[in-house]
Amino acid sequence: MARVFVSSVINAPAAKVWERVRDFNGLPNWHPRIRDSRIEDALPSDKIGCIRNFNLQNGDNIREQLLGMSDYDLFCSYAILESPMPLTDYVATLRLTPITDGERCFAEWSAEFECSPDDESDLVSGIGTNVFQGGFDALKRHFGG
Amino acid sequence: MVKVVRSTILEEPVDAVWEVLRDFNGHDTWHPAIATSQIERGESSDRVGCVRRFKLNDGAELREQLLTLSDAETAYSYCLLDTPVPLFNYVSHVRLLPVTDGDHTFWQWESRFDTPRGREKELAELVGESIYGDGFTAIRNHFQERAVA
Repeated sequence: MARVFVSSVINAPAAKVWERVRDFNGLPNWHPRIRDSRIEDALPSDKIGCIRNFNLQNGDNIREQLLGMSDYDLFCSYAILESPMPLTDYVATLRLTPITDGERCFAEWSAEFECSPDDESDLVSGIGTNVFQGGFDALKRHFGG
Repeated sequence: MVKVVRSTILEEPVDAVWEVLRDFNGHDTWHPAIATSQIERGESSDRVGCVRRFKLNDGAELREQLLTLSDAETAYSYCLLDTPVPLFNYVSHVRLLPVTDGDHTFWQWESRFDTPRGREKELAELVGESIYGDGFTAIRNHFQERAVA
C-alpha cells in the first residue's frame, strides 16, 4: 500500500477555506491543474456516491466518486474510478482543521493506493507535489499566504 | 458536557516536539503550572495505564492516568483521577501532525468534561487558557531557549 501525505497552513479560517473546496464539482474554480469538471447523472455534488468526471489541463480524464463529506468535521473523501495513472484502490481525504490561536487553518490531503513497486515513488511524488501541494499552493495564493 | 479545543502551529519538526511531549511525566520540565511530577509505583511513563501524580505551583495535587499513547500517530490521551478543581469525567487528547509544507508541527489539545452547574464557562476558560494555551507558549519558549543555548 502506497501512502501520500501533504499538509499545510492556510491563512484563512477553516470555514472560509471549506467554502472554497467543499464543492466536489468545483476543482476547476480553485485547482490550477483542473480544466473542467461535471457531475455524472446530474446529481448534486454533495450527494454521497456522486461521480465527478473531470479533465486536467493536459487533457487526461479522471473519474472520482465521493465517499464521504462532513460540514461538521470539514473533510471530504473520494476514490478514483478511472484514471490514466497505473494505480488501483485509490482513496483520498482532504481535511481542514481550525488553528484556534489565529485566523488560519491546518489543511491535510492524504491518499492510499496500490501500484507496482516500480511506479510507487513516481506516483507518490507526482500526486503529492502536483495535485496536493499544487492545490494548497493555489489556496495559499488565494488567501494571501 | 463541556468541550475545549485549542490548537497551534509550532515552527519545529514534529519529531522534536513529540520527543518532549511523549514523556507523560515530563510536563514539570516545560509547563509553567506544574511544580513536580512523578509516576506512581515506579512505572515507566510510556506504559499505558500509568498514573502521574503532580503538584501545581500553588501546592494542589492532581492524579492523571495515561489512557493511550501512540508513536505512530504522535498522540496520547489521559484522564483526571483526582483533582481539587471540579472537573469531572475529564478526558483529554493531545495529537501532533506534521506540516509537510515547511516541516512544522500542528498541535491539537482537546478535552471533554463535566462541571458543577453554572461553572462551565469559567472552567472551560481555565482549561483552554491556563493549561492548553499556556502550555503552547511554554513549549514555544522551550524551543527558543534551546536554540539560544
